[in-house]
Order: sequence, then structure tokens, then C-alpha cells
Amino acid sequence: MRGGQSYVSCPPSFSNDGNRLLVGCGTSVAIFSTATALQVSSLEGHTSTVTSVVVVPGSKILNYCWTSSLDGTIRYWDFSLFECIKKIDLNLPIFSMVIPSLLSTPEESSGKKKNVYAYVCMQTENGKDNKPKLCTAQIRKCNLTNYNKLSKVTLKETKRPQRLTISPCGNFLGIKDKRKLHIWKIPKVDSDSAVSKKITLHHTKTFSVLTFHPTERIVAAGDVTGRILIFRGFGAQNFQENGELLNRTSMTGEECKPGVRQNDDAESCSTWHWHSSGVNLLSFSSDGVYLYSGGKEGVLVFWQLDTGKKKFLPRIGSPLRYFIDSPDPSVSSISCADNQIHIFKISSMEIMRSISGIKPPLSSQDICESISSQAAFDCTSGLVAVQTENYGIQFYSLFANRGLYEIQVCERNYQPVDDVTVVVTMVELSVDGSMMGTVEVKLPEEGIGGLICLKLWDLDSDTKRFSMSTLIYEPHRDAHISAIAFHPTRHMAVTSSYGGDFKIWVCREETQQKGQTHQNFSWMCHAVGSYKNKAMRAAAFSADGSVLAVAADTVITLWDPDKNELIAVVGETPSPIGRLIFVGKSENLLSVSHGSTPQLSVWSMSKLAASWSYRLEIEAVSCALDLSYFAVIALLPKSIERMFKGDGIILVFNATDPTPMASWSVTKAKGGSIAFLKGNPSELADEKSSKTLLAYLNGDREYVLFDPYDKEARELNMTMQGDLVGLEDNGQFGYTSIYGELPVFDLKRNKASSVFSGASNRPWETIFNGSSSHMLPPLTKLCSEFLESLLEKKTSIIE
Amino acid sequence: MEEARIKTFPVKPKLKTKPRTQQQTPESKYWSSFKTQQIPKQFPIHSIDYSPTPPHSFVLANSTTLHIFNSKTLSETSQITFKDTVSCVSFRNDARLIAASDLSGLVQVFDFNERRRIRHLQSHTRPVRFVHYPRHDKLHLVSGGDDALVKYWDVAEAKVIHQFNGHKDYVRCGHSSPVNSDTFVTGSYDHLVKLWDVRVRDSSKSAMDINHGCPVEDVVFLPSGGMIATAGGNSVKLWDVIGGGKLLYSMESHNKTVTSICVGRIGKDSVDESNQYRIMSVGLDGYFKVFDYGSMKVTHSMRFPAPLVSLGYSPDCLTRVIGTSNGMIYASKRKVKVDENEKGIVASEGSSIWRIRPLESTEKKVLKTTDFRYFQRGQGEKPSEGDYLVMRPKKVKLTAHDKLLNKFRHGDALVCVLEGKNPGHVVAVMEELVSRKKLLRCVSDLDLEKLELLLAFLHKYCTVPKYSSLLMGLANKVIEMRADDIRASETLKKHIRNLKSTVEAEIRIQQSLQEIQGIISPLLRIAGRR
Repeated sequence: MRGGQSYVSCPPSFSNDGNRLLVGCGTSVAIFSTATALQVSSLEGHTSTVTSVVVVPGSKILNYCWTSSLDGTIRYWDFSLFECIKKIDLNLPIFSMVIPSLLSTPEESSGKKKNVYAYVCMQTENGKDNKPKLCTAQIRKCNLTNYNKLSKVTLKETKRPQRLTISPCGNFLGIKDKRKLHIWKIPKVDSDSAVSKKITLHHTKTFSVLTFHPTERIVAAGDVTGRILIFRGFGAQNFQENGELLNRTSMTGEECKPGVRQNDDAESCSTWHWHSSGVNLLSFSSDGVYLYSGGKEGVLVFWQLDTGKKKFLPRIGSPLRYFIDSPDPSVSSISCADNQIHIFKISSMEIMRSISGIKPPLSSQDICESISSQAAFDCTSGLVAVQTENYGIQFYSLFANRGLYEIQVCERNYQPVDDVTVVVTMVELSVDGSMMGTVEVKLPEEGIGGLICLKLWDLDSDTKRFSMSTLIYEPHRDAHISAIAFHPTRHMAVTSSYGGDFKIWVCREETQQKGQTHQNFSWMCHAVGSYKNKAMRAAAFSADGSVLAVAADTVITLWDPDKNELIAVVGETPSPIGRLIFVGKSENLLSVSHGSTPQLSVWSMSKLAASWSYRLEIEAVSCALDLSYFAVIALLPKSIERMFKGDGIILVFNATDPTPMASWSVTKAKGGSIAFLKGNPSELADEKSSKTLLAYLNGDREYVLFDPYDKEARELNMTMQGDLVGLEDNGQFGYTSIYGELPVFDLKRNKASSVFSGASNRPWETIFNGSSSHMLPPLTKLCSEFLESLLEKKTSIIE
Repeated sequence: MEEARIKTFPVKPKLKTKPRTQQQTPESKYWSSFKTQQIPKQFPIHSIDYSPTPPHSFVLANSTTLHIFNSKTLSETSQITFKDTVSCVSFRNDARLIAASDLSGLVQVFDFNERRRIRHLQSHTRPVRFVHYPRHDKLHLVSGGDDALVKYWDVAEAKVIHQFNGHKDYVRCGHSSPVNSDTFVTGSYDHLVKLWDVRVRDSSKSAMDINHGCPVEDVVFLPSGGMIATAGGNSVKLWDVIGGGKLLYSMESHNKTVTSICVGRIGKDSVDESNQYRIMSVGLDGYFKVFDYGSMKVTHSMRFPAPLVSLGYSPDCLTRVIGTSNGMIYASKRKVKVDENEKGIVASEGSSIWRIRPLESTEKKVLKTTDFRYFQRGQGEKPSEGDYLVMRPKKVKLTAHDKLLNKFRHGDALVCVLEGKNPGHVVAVMEELVSRKKLLRCVSDLDLEKLELLLAFLHKYCTVPKYSSLLMGLANKVIEMRADDIRASETLKKHIRNLKSTVEAEIRIQQSLQEIQGIISPLLRIAGRR
């Protein structure tokens, strides 16, 4: 089961009746209802990312569309029946496709069926001499009606694949190429060999987008600096044909071409500038009166074409990508960079509903990479909570593959163009999913004014939404929080910090007001502990909650969370431990250390010693709730990435056995996370109830759910959109085969020679570590005790 | 859902921590509902007494004068002057006469309304410290003084009927039984409280002796008449008189000598607590405490900035007067809600004379277009129960600095909050500017007057722990960035000096705290060993 694909990798397309929205997402085309914004169905068949969706226009009952994909095929679908009618294999990845003849008004052809031609932007064929080519993309023509081979005509070769833009009536085809616009006139009667005429328009800045006017000869183009150029009457000279009637008089001279660069074929060029950064979205309204533009600011601007007057739809909250008009004039859709498609009414300029995909990872990840954590999973309900750019947490249902809701963590308005100053660095859910902890960091300005806030949330049992119960400013002074862990059964949480201490928080339930049963949860600090002032990077509760393990630099300290006593100190790893997790109900503790000598170690709690360890760079770990299995994502070294056709590998272990039970190779493992989920409740009706699924969320927040125990399901093919390297056939690799080939894996089965550090019977250790901040006897008693101890010393000296 | 997207987030100060202890109990709320006003006088207020009849005006003894106050307005209405310092004052139970003693040993009786001297009672040879009209007796008077004698007077004849000579030190206080006009108690510096009965003719034999353990400063009978409360030293003690002088409880929550006590009723409007009596005490430590002798608990405590020496509480529970040793009088008054019903009754009674019969034409007038109300019809209509209400979205009220921030006028916003009084807002705006990366820019653009404002703010708040993490860093930056401006201006230099001294003081505090920490930490270690 897959999901989490980007909905905004290519422009969506409305069906003819305007009730359906076809969105290319990953390898399929998802069909959404515009009335409910829920997914109705999907067209499966492509083996790689879908790059364009073209609906065949016509009457409302016609439900056909063409799609192109990076797998090199063009398919023709009947999307009311969800079936593929025709498949054309071009063998080379297709980046963009337009079909002009669908748009031109169908002439009453005398019974003769016209050929349909598509223009595709595709990867160039590899030359025979294997020279690295400057141009990787070319624009070709392709006969869709009866395809035998690609037409010889190559319109243009470009260095990078460009998106093709077509005029609404299908006369012109344009691409942007750096500082130029290339526009072709499409011949009325197209054939394989018909050569289109071409003009080029120049500009001093790099173009980012272009669009054609629906009726007139106007092309609008946006550049990276936020200017919008409107060329009127382009191609008046070159596209002049004998049979064609032009309203305009022909050109009279150079002097009456204001704003047009030297020899460009356009009558005039005007420039509008409102956007502060690049224009991503340009579209004319269907009547051609308005021009819509949008950019990184997340503001949709409505320009009146004749006067240049502006209206705004602000606060969309994310950079805008595409704007698509529907046949129903009141409804349009905007695709945003944060994987949301908003369906909105132009007349009232309000967003009616949103199709929400999983939000992309934070772009600010690099700023605070060391302090931010991964997404949190709610194992029971199959939810994942991810941090979003707009200082919130999105709850995404992995089973339903849609965003459920978002909560705002930090009370700020998000502006996409602003510098990042506030980041939600951490989100953590309790095992039963009823409590959540978030950490937000305000970055200081030249060293002043930084702030770290810990927020603890409770799940409202009625609305199933989280509401904030406690806000703690600077829980560990100015030190960053490294981990949050929740007690599996009680209202207790622990936060550890790089500043060398951890705090245990307990939730106290207060019932206020006599009459009402108004419950008020508030969290309080229950205890503070530290171990030799070492930075604490991880914390975990055991499955029954009786033991708290906190990683203090390179050792693991075990505490009694109620009494705040140090029970034992375990072992030593070569580099600091960054993650701790108790393996299910078993007595094993898993530690992950990063750094120069990364290590994955399993510690036996009964012996307080290491059982086994691997030298692996581990990105994420997860363990099954009841069983003694755990899964890890290991990042592979660069040198052997090729061999596995992926940069990571998922390994499933039994805690008692260092030989992995299963393995899968995956791509984009960096920034990925993994979790065991309880089976989908809706699907469980007929199957056995104790089904456990493994969820893998990759660095781009696409995910896959699979059953790790199913022997047949060992085939896992993670092909990712945007990854242009062909990733087909990621076969399954038996671990033994990996193992044989990898001298890098250093198996250290040091079961016997581990460092024993039994339960410490010297309680003063806890004192010197400054623990036990609570439950002190009164000072008067202490004094006498203290003096007594001094006395003892003296007498011993005398003796 | 989309409404939620377009939200404005006003810049607010950080939340404050909730107190762990419960907020005010209803009782302490009641006691703090008295609004205090200060009436300055020059000399210590030794004695206060309330008139037992409404309107309960009160008298206080200040040096050689008796000041009479109206308890409604807390304003002085008249005064009576003496030849010597007045030590004690007492109303007769019908409030027509008032007795006062002075340090010359004279006890005088006045007509309260005409302020005319009626009797001179001259018998004490040393200063008289206490004089008291028994509760149910209009004819007699009790007095005691530094000659250790307690005298029982017949006021009409101005003659001592009885002289009790059991005390061995100065007699300072006394009180009569509320149930029996023949018994009274006196307290003396010989630590004893003696219960006297005028029917016992043996002048040196008291009915009962109670040893308080300290020089007794004040003594009162509780309303039941079976118990007395004595004050002396740091404690207030409760004794069971009927049970033979048994100590019931000793309240020791004052830190210095308790100087005066009195008994008062909680005049709550609600019925359940209105008849509960409390012992109120004041002491030289400046504390005013309320003691619930039913549950034996101190229910309210209040601090005044001067040693308190005398206390009075009005019988109608509306005013309370506390006298201090430096002459300041803290007179407090409670606001009472006038009962709506009562008010209504009074109003209707008042208007009943003038009431005209209501018009008979109660039938509804049909509105016509000539009537202006025709055009307003339906506007004041209230929704009925089953109606579905379409609520107008609540408008977010934006403060001045929010508006400025929304317009990106960062500098103006900063100045706007600096001119305001709330430091929380200032810090909140500063934090907002930090997250917009504009704070330092704003600081560098401030002109000199505004910079002065900022420096004054920093001087005041930079060591407050809540704000110091931001403000200390900012103070450093400000001084660094605006060094030239500061050097040029004398007023700014002054602010910098102030700032420096604040920081130095804070450093001293920190050092002493560290010393304390050094002392305590070994003890904590011992604690950990246990």
C-alpha cells in the first residue's frame, strides 16, 4: 500500500463536466471529486511518475484522457470506467505532453478521420558515440492515432526538460528556455512532416513561466525576478499566412514596437511588477479579461488585462504552482507547493475546499538538522504526525492516504518568502496516541532572543483533535531538547536535553468548579536528573514503564522514573548514543549511535550488557509493540549504493538474534522514518486480527505500507518521482548475499566481553550527579546528619 | 475549515505560570474586599471603640484628643480634647455616653452627642490604661491602671464601689461578660488574667486566674460568654472559662507582640456564613490576622507597613479600623450590594403615594407607516429558543502595536509599547521583532529620546528573571551599537549608570545565592545518602 505522493508534480486537469479533478500523483492518476475533495478512484498502470494529464474536451459525457509518464509511455484512458484503452510506447522518459489538435475547434471534416498529434518533451536518444550531450531534452511530435514511430521532426533541443505550454485554442506552442521564449505556430493540418514556424522572444532575465491568451495573440511570461511581461501581437510577421486574416495592420516600423527587444516579432511588450520573487503561475481567465499570477508569496493576483489593476487573494500560505480553470466557470483549482490543491470560487474569491496531501518536509531542515526529529507515528490508528512549514503539525492518515487535520503549534502567520525564524523541531506521540509533545525553537537574532518552547497536548476524546494543555518556556534553560518520550501507560513524559539533564513531567488532573465537571490537565515537572553533566541525547520508557533509559553521551543510564533514582549505568559505545528504544515486551534495549563510528547495539537488560552490535549508519528504528521484533533503516555508504539501487536498506531483526529476518532496499532513506502499525481496521474484518504492518516514510514523505512477515511481499519497489535515474527492478536481496559482499559490515558479536556494570549499590553516585531534586528530608534533620558524618570522620582519624 | 486558515495572531506577552496553591478562599476574598484608606495622624492610636448603635460611628484615642468618625464616610465629625494623653475609650451600650481614661489617672464620662463632660472619676493615682462599660449595665464602669488596681465605679455618684487589688503589675486591659453584667476579666503585665465577680465582696479574691505566660496586652470575651481570648507576647490564646480556665488553643502565627484583638462577625450576604464569628488580631509585626476559632485556623492574613497597636470592627460588619504606632489609621470599608428586592420595595413604597393607575389600553397598537417605530420594528427582536442563530464572527481586537506590526512599522511598534506600561507587551513585541529579524535594526534607528525610553526600560526590567534572557543580551547590544550617542548625551549616560548599578546589584545577589547553594549542597548530598 502506497501513498503520500506529491499531488503537485504536474498540473491537474478537470473533467468535462467539472465534477472530477484528475491529479497525477506518483505512478497513478488520482481522480478527486470537486464537490467533496475526496479521492474517488485512481488510474493505475504507469510504472513511473505521471508527468501530464490531458483530458479530451468535448461533451460532458466524454470521459477520456491522455497521460504521459517518465516510463516512456503515453496512455489513453476512459476514466469513467478506470481502464486503459491504448498504450503508446516511446521508450524514452516523457517530461511533458500537449495535444494541440484536441483544442482546436473541430472542423467539419468530410468523414475523414484526422490524425491526432501530440507534442512531447522527452529525453534525447543516446547517441552512438556515447558522448555526454549538452542537450538532454528534445521536443518531438508524435502521431497518436496510428503510431508507428516518432516523427523525425525535432522542434528544439534544450539542456533541461521544459514544460510545454499550449494556447487555449491550440494554435501556438511555447516553451521557455532561459532568457528566451520559443513559440511555434502549429500547422492547421498537421502531419508527421509538417514543419512549424518558430519565433523567439528575448528578455534580460530568466523566464519562469509563460501562458497564452485564449483569443488574442498575446503571450504573458513571468521571470525569476517577479516581473510579468506581456507580449502583444507576437508573430505578426512570421506567422502571417496567406489564408489567414489578421485584424491588425502589418508592422510599419521599429519605432512602434515599445518594449520589444530588437528583432523580436511582437508588436508591443509591457511589464508589470508586483511579485517580489519569481512568478510560478500565470494564467488567463477563459474570457481573456483577467490574468492570474502567483509566486512564492502565496498570493494570487488578479490583473485586469487592459488597465493593469490588481486584486488579491492573499494568505494561501504556500508558494503557488499551477492554476487550472474548469469547464464550470465558477470553479478553479490552485496547486500549492505544500502538496495541497485548493478548489476555489473565482467570483467570491474564496477557497471552498482543499485536497490535502502529506506536507513536504521542512525546507529549513538544514538550519536545525541536529535538533529536529522525525515524524511521529500513532501505531493504533495509523496516523502520522509531521511538522509543516507553517508552524503546525499535520495529521495524515496512512490508511486513507489523506490529510485529516492540522493543528497550529506556534501562533504565527506563515509567510513563504520570509526567513525561517521559528521552527517546530519535534513532535512525539504517546503509544496510545492520546498525548503529544511538540517543541518549537525561535532562532535568535545575532544571539539574542532565542526561545525554546515545549508544548504538551491532550487528545480531546469527543472531537479526536489535540488541544494544548501545557506550555513550558525554556524547559531546559537555553539548551535544546534532544528527545521526548511518553510513559506507555501513565500521564508521564520525559524530555532530555543537550544541556546535560532530563526532566520528568507528570500530568496532574484538576477538577475545578464545584458544579461543572470541568477537567483541567496540567503538566508539572516531577523530577530533574543528570549524569555527570553529560549531554543527553535520547530517552525511552520500557514497555511496562518501570524503567526509564536515558542516554548520557556514550553510556545508557537506567532510572526509576517515580523515585528518580539511578538504577544502573550500562556500557559504553564509541560515539554518542542518539536514539534509544526498548524492544517490545522483551528485555532488550536498542541503542543507535551516530558519528564517526556509528553503531547499532542491542543490550540485554537482565545482564546489563551488550548482546550484539553492528557498525551501521542507522537513520530510524522502530519496534513492534508486543513482539520482540524491530526494524531499522540503515543508510548505505556511497560506494555500494549502486549495488543496491538505493541509498538505504530496511532490516528487520529479532532482538535475540543478530541475523536479520528480512531486508528491503529503499531509496531516499535519508530523512526517512519507519514504524510498525496495527493493521488497517477497515481491512481487518475478514483477515486475522493481529496483523502488523510496517510503514516506511521516505525523505520526501512518500510512504509505503507492507506486511513484514509475509513471505511473498518481499518485493518492494520504491520508485520515486523526480528521481530521473531509472529505478526499475529493485529486486529483493537476501541478507546473506549482502553479507557476503560487504566487508564494511563489522559484526561484533561480543556477547561475553561486554562491560559489566551491575546495579550500583553506592547510592552516593546519585548524589554527586545532582539527582533527587525532590522528596528531601527537612534541613534540620539534614544538618544533624551532616554534622554526624563530619564527626565520624574525625573519630576515625583519631583512632 | 478555511476560516481557520485566515487567522490573525496578536502579539501577546508570554503566559504566566499558574499558582500551584488554590487562589483565594471565599473567606479571604471577603476580608480583602475591604477597601482601605489611610487617615494620617501624628501620634500612636491607643484605643478604638465602635458605637454599639447604628450608624456605628467610631472613636479613636490619639494623644490628647478623641476623634469621632462617621463610619459611612470615614470622615472625622468632631473631637474632644483632654489635658493628658487618652489611653482608652469605651461606649455605653446605648451609645449615649462615652467613657475615656487618660494617663493622669482620670476617668471622664461624656455625653456623646453633645460632647459635654458629665462626670470626673478621680481615684487612680497612676495612669489609667483601661476603662470599660459593661455590656448590659448602664450605671457602672470598670477601670484599671498602672497602680495594679481594678476599680468598679458607680458613674452617677462618681464613686468607687469596689476595688480589686489582686494584680501585681500594670493592668492593661479588660472586658466584660456578654451574658452576665456582674463578671468581667482584666489582664495585666503580671501574665495573669483574672475573672472578677462584683458580687464577691473579698476585694483581693478573683473568681478565676488564668496564666497567659506573657504580659497580657488584650483580652476579650467571645460572644457565647463561655470563652475568652487573651493576647500577649506573640500568641493569642483561647480559654474555656466555664470549664475552669482550660487552655483550648494557642495561636502563634504573629511574629511580634500581639497588641489588640477583637471579635467580629462575617457580614456576608449569604446566609450560611453570616453568623460565624472570628477573632481578629493585630500585632507589632504589622500583620492583621483573622482566626476561625471553630476550626482553629488562621483564615486570612494581611500585612500593613507599620506596627499595629489597636483594632476596631464595626458591629454591622461594614468597616474596620486599625491604628498604628506611627499615627497612621487604616480605615477600611466594605462595599455592599444593595439588595435588589429591598431597593424595589423601597422604591415602590416611595412612589406608592404618587402612583397613578396604569392605563387600561394594554391592547397592542397596530403600527402605521406614520409612526417612526414602524420602520424600526423587528430590530430589537430577541431570538426565540428554537431559532438557529447565525453568529457574526468575533472581531479580533488589535492593539496599537499589533496594528503597527501589521503595517511593518517595526520601530513605531517598539516605541509604542515602550511608552506603555506593560513590560510583558514590550518583551512580546521584542520577541516578535527578533523573529522578523528586525530588532537590532529598530534599535539602531531609534532617535535619542526613544533610546532614552529603551534604556529606562532596560534599567528597570533587565534583571527580572522572566525577561532577563532576552533583555540582558539586548542591553549589551544596545550599548555596543549606540556607544557614540550615549557618550554624547548626559541623560543617556545617567541611564547607563543606573543600568550598571542594577546589574551590579544583581551580580551581588547571584553571588550570595551561590554561597547559599554552596552551604546547602552538602546537605542535599547527605539527603541523597539516606
